[in-house]
Amino acid sequence: MAEQGASHGIARTSRVRSEEQRQKDLERIDKYRELEDQVRQHAAEGGFSRELFALTSKLLRLNPEYYTVWNVRRRCLISGLFSKQSHGSSCSKESWNTSRCATTTTSSVESSSCSSTEIQPSPASPTAGKSGTTADEGDKEAAAKQDVELIKSELLFTIPLLLESPKCYWIWSYRLWVLNQAIERLQAPAARRIWEEELGLASKMLSKDRRNFHAWGYRRHVVARLESSDLGGGSMVEAEFEYTERMFRTDLSNFSALHNRSQLIPRLLDERGATAAQRKAFLDKELNMIRDALNVGPEDQSLWYYHRFLVLNLVTTVGRPTITPAFTREDRVSYLTREIEEVKDLLEDYEDIKLIYEALVDYTLYLCQLEERKPIGEEREDLVTWVKKLEELDPMRNGRWADLERDQELTELLPGGQ
Amino acid sequence: MTETFAQLPEELKLATSAHVKYIQSLDTRKDEYDYWLTEHLRLNGLYWGLTALHLLGHPEALPRAETIDFVLSCQHENGGFGAAPGHDAHMLSTVSAVQILATVDAFDELEARGKGKAQVGKYIAGLQNRQTGTFAGDEWGEEDTRFLYGAFNALSLLGLLHLVDVDKAVDHVAACANFDGGYGVSPGAESHSGQIFTCVAALTIAGRQDLIDKERLGRWLSERQVAAGGLNGRPEKKEDVCYSWWVLSSLEMIGKTHWIDRDKLISFILSSQDTEKGGISDRPGDMVDVWHTVFGVAGLSLLNYPGLEPVDEVYCMPKSTTARILGR
Ligand SMILES: [Zn+2]
Repeated sequence: MAEQGASHGIARTSRVRSEEQRQKDLERIDKYRELEDQVRQHAAEGGFSRELFALTSKLLRLNPEYYTVWNVRRRCLISGLFSKQSHGSSCSKESWNTSRCATTTTSSVESSSCSSTEIQPSPASPTAGKSGTTADEGDKEAAAKQDVELIKSELLFTIPLLLESPKCYWIWSYRLWVLNQAIERLQAPAARRIWEEELGLASKMLSKDRRNFHAWGYRRHVVARLESSDLGGGSMVEAEFEYTERMFRTDLSNFSALHNRSQLIPRLLDERGATAAQRKAFLDKELNMIRDALNVGPEDQSLWYYHRFLVLNLVTTVGRPTITPAFTREDRVSYLTREIEEVKDLLEDYEDIKLIYEALVDYTLYLCQLEERKPIGEEREDLVTWVKKLEELDPMRNGRWADLERDQELTELLPGGQ
Repeated sequence: MTETFAQLPEELKLATSAHVKYIQSLDTRKDEYDYWLTEHLRLNGLYWGLTALHLLGHPEALPRAETIDFVLSCQHENGGFGAAPGHDAHMLSTVSAVQILATVDAFDELEARGKGKAQVGKYIAGLQNRQTGTFAGDEWGEEDTRFLYGAFNALSLLGLLHLVDVDKAVDHVAACANFDGGYGVSPGAESHSGQIFTCVAALTIAGRQDLIDKERLGRWLSERQVAAGGLNGRPEKKEDVCYSWWVLSSLEMIGKTHWIDRDKLISFILSSQDTEKGGISDRPGDMVDVWHTVFGVAGLSLLNYPGLEPVDEVYCMPKSTTARILGR
């Protein structure tokens, strides 16, 4: 589960090196190990100094997967480079882990407290404060400014590393830790400014790789923090909903965008205070959007997943928020029946796409479930035909189709049955 | 598959002895830059290599005493293990350490020469977020269902699952479920094969498979198989040997392995081998590594490929080991 160790998509080449290449490798190894030794030595002595901090920069640029070195860097910041005061609210629910680790690490750090003058926070200049403020306030202001600078430069440090290794867990997690330090150490408005810029990064990463798992998760996390009271935030659900639409319009098969969209809908409607009529209109609009896309790309799994999400809103009403809670059973049945007809229409243009047959089978069974009955008459014959088609188009999943036939008692109409 | 086995071309037979040699060679590559760049994965790598060797029927190929010495040399006072001596303790390396010691039947050495089982259990339990039930990877707080599964895996092997709030953790896993039956890295996150494996395995260890929507999950998982026979991690992604394992083992846990084409998957894994120099890669023609080697071999074992030791789909360890320790 630590994907970092694996090589993905790198072509197999001959492993034979020339003697010259081998020598070069050995030199690189020596340099790397020397740097590593220096970091370890300094860290073992407990001096979390500016010098050690600089060494970690060098080493992490060579190897951003080296989690222990990221930890050394955190300790440097906590035990010397950050100012000693905390401005933020450090007891918020979300920062549970951060505050806990602050206490676990200080014990090992405190005893070896920084003796070198280099690592002391730069002394606040007595003239730093605005005229009229006390020296103490001036100190505080200077310290806060220093922390802001430090946090910003840490965020900057990780950018080239992230662009080079966008799937490296350790960089993302370090970056989040730094951002949490902003909440712990800065006044809310200052922390907020820093977090707001993160949305830009998340967008940038997603424009490079629209499905990057880390970047989508990161974006959700950043948005949640920006919305939280820690950062004096309000709901961003409308803007985020729009963002998923933009991402979907640029790339119809972006399941990550559609997934995020599905997650936002219940809140979006609640916050809009949508009436039953508005909710119905909303569902119509979403169904139209996805149906238009299916008309051009019926082989796209992502589109079908979203369509299914909308359809399931009509079927399963227990245990999860639905788009149209006021729908009567008749409403649901009529919507579902219409969707089935729409999907059937796709067959006129696309005969051999298994996802269409799969949807038809599932939706028909949903309909039966909704009406608390078994498939009957023509409906049942349709099911038999569609399952046969699935077996023909998608033999890899024959075990599944066989289970379906057994569970729905569709077998006896198949050739050889009766 | 078994009947036609003899007629298969060389690249579609398992190159057992090449793989054994490849794994044995991993610790002799100290003149390669990559060897040093991957030190943060040494203990995990040892677990991957050792497990592959056991499944290949060559448990003796790595010296037992040295293996135990190395594992114990990675342990910290607090009970946790780092990836190698001098590396900080982390959940992932701690789980690997426990799995290795379990596989070579050396928990007694952990008591005698290490910090003891209880201390390891304490370290892992200390990483649970008692409010949400989930787990962090280390003291710095990154949370992920991977760590929750790791904790359940190691603690159950140690017989110490009672040290954590299992119900809270189970609630958290349930909150990670999506409408498609899959699970994400945290509540609200998109379904992902790796995460599905961790969530389904955690629920299985906790005895709470009743919370899984097996129909929908089975459907999602079975759709991961692409024409080339391999399985991908998410819709519209490329197939990959490591994802093949997570999808396959999850299917096995919910009793739906027959929903994919097993022979095609076997061919895909076999054609991802380097039959000459050993090792398995993410897909045919790519660079091999020990990570894809173990998941490839484990996949073949789960698919009953002849000549392999049975693998436990929940723990990704030899079944003989989990049978000895857990009676599974
Ligand atoms: Zn892989």
